[in-house]
Amino acid sequence: MKHRERVLQAKMDRILEAEEQGTYSKKKRNRVVMRFMNNRLSLVGLVVFAIILLMSIGAPLFTHYDPLKISLKEVLQSPSGKHIFGTDKLGRDVFARVLYGGRISILVGFGSALGAAFIGVVLGTLGGYKGGVFDKCVMRLSEVFMSFPQIILVLLLVSMVGQSMGNLIMIFILTGWGGIYRMTRSKMLSIKQEEYVQALKAFDVNPWLICFKHMLPNALGPILVNITLSTAMFILQEASLSFLGLGVPLQIATWGNVLNAANDLQVLKSYWWLWLPVGIVISLFVLSINFIGDGLRDSSDPSQMG
Amino acid sequence: MVSYIIRRLLTLIPMLLIMTFLIFLGLEMTPGDAVSFLAGPEAMANMTQEQLAALRESMGLNDSFLVRYFRWLGNMCKGDFGYSLTSGVPIKTIIAERLPATLELSLAALLISTILGTILGLLSAMKRDQPVDRILTVAGMVGVSIPEFFFGLVFLLVFSINLGWFPVGGRLRPEYTVYWDHMKNLFLPSIVLGLSMTAGVMRYTRSSMLDTINKDYVKTARSKGLPEWRINLLHGFRVALAPVVVLVGFRLPMLIGGSVVIEQIFQWPGIGNEFLQAVRSQNYPLVMMIALLSVFMVLLASFLIDIITALLDPRVQLD
Repeated sequence: MKHRERVLQAKMDRILEAEEQGTYSKKKRNRVVMRFMNNRLSLVGLVVFAIILLMSIGAPLFTHYDPLKISLKEVLQSPSGKHIFGTDKLGRDVFARVLYGGRISILVGFGSALGAAFIGVVLGTLGGYKGGVFDKCVMRLSEVFMSFPQIILVLLLVSMVGQSMGNLIMIFILTGWGGIYRMTRSKMLSIKQEEYVQALKAFDVNPWLICFKHMLPNALGPILVNITLSTAMFILQEASLSFLGLGVPLQIATWGNVLNAANDLQVLKSYWWLWLPVGIVISLFVLSINFIGDGLRDSSDPSQMG
Repeated sequence: MVSYIIRRLLTLIPMLLIMTFLIFLGLEMTPGDAVSFLAGPEAMANMTQEQLAALRESMGLNDSFLVRYFRWLGNMCKGDFGYSLTSGVPIKTIIAERLPATLELSLAALLISTILGTILGLLSAMKRDQPVDRILTVAGMVGVSIPEFFFGLVFLLVFSINLGWFPVGGRLRPEYTVYWDHMKNLFLPSIVLGLSMTAGVMRYTRSSMLDTINKDYVKTARSKGLPEWRINLLHGFRVALAPVVVLVGFRLPMLIGGSVVIEQIFQWPGIGNEFLQAVRSQNYPLVMMIALLSVFMVLLASFLIDIITALLDPRVQLD
């Protein structure tokens, strides 16, 4: 008992000391990070995510093969020391294609999520704070976009504007901003009721400053979670579209385009290395993002725990 | 209740007008001669330029945009959806042919995911923070992370190609005489589609149920001394089900979209497959009409959801 008291005493002293030096608040902010680190699954997710991301970015360090180089002498070789994931129908090294493909797939997923979040957050913040005609119009617009099943709208737009990586990111942004817009808007509506916002208004602070500098940071947690989860969703969508042959043009290596080979029953049956490893890599990567997103949600929003 | 339904129906109209207008705009903007889309290929084949121009005039294609829009809308109400650019078949026929297959697959998948999802979600909520709950939660995460087409490919390889239990694809075969014969074909795609949607339903049921069993009226029920199963099922589950119905309802139209990839893998002759072909061949009228159909189903489903929610949850005010 005595000992515990002394430990507590010492802890209290440390806190007081830190407070005097003005460093205590910084430690408090780290609580989100601490809670995230305590979540074992999120941590595993973070590690897997980092491994796949780093291997994709640093692809040339891990393989000396060119993902696009056709080598007709080495067609459809099964995995070996020379080609870890084997080679495809044109003799291209599958491992290199998975690594380099990751770059494009992750770029498409993350870029689209960021773009959609940017539009959604800006419109949601303004709409939620100001209300009025602007808010009504944007809300209607988001309803229009959300009335389409997502993949139908994406495919419809692909058929209209044609296939390219840029177009795909644009289409994903266009079809994906609605969800984050609605979330930001409803968050803004509830933050608007808080007293500090009323006070800022009473002092006639510039409304732009109020919503973007004072209100938005308080909605950042769920926005971050949303960006994470929509990155996962867009990576899955890119893979599906490319698998169907309607995503990124086939000559660019992406995870979906590597999987595209599995459209052939013969490949499915006899050449498992063409599609199984890359499918597992996509699943692992998306799973790790989902774990991270879940951990972020738990650590940034205590009401969502459990 | 009746007035609630009517009021809710009236709010659908402006949305439908906006959506049809956008689709019409899309049709106008995409390349392709509107005559061929409206008149059908046979009528077009033996015509000179002057005749075509006359036809265009007589069909009112030189009228103003709004006039054409409302005429097009009127035709749609009469069931005239225009013609497919590639095959010349009326779009109405194509949809009528393909829709049953998609609905069959979708409903089967919906049934599987709803039953499995609610049961597992309920189990998870009642055994909160116990190993069962943990395992189910992680399994759910894995479920939403695997691309459904990859999942489908693995199932196809294992159960159709290697084990030979199910046909590799297709829906109806000439040798099938009884309806039940093609259950074998339906089984794999509906399981894959159903399982890939189960995780969402499960998570939703769990959080909704956890939300409800902490409410005051559940505590009241417990303090009245009711048996635990009655509390969970009648007081908790009935209310917790309302948001689940919303989720399931929203899945209903998504199934036209959701089944696109699965239909392709299992060569299922449904709307999704037709849609993909249309997108590939840039058959715009068909693409637009199928998109419109899916939008129509989304709106219809959201209407039905509101009605069912009102029926399920005694707290929803009808007036």
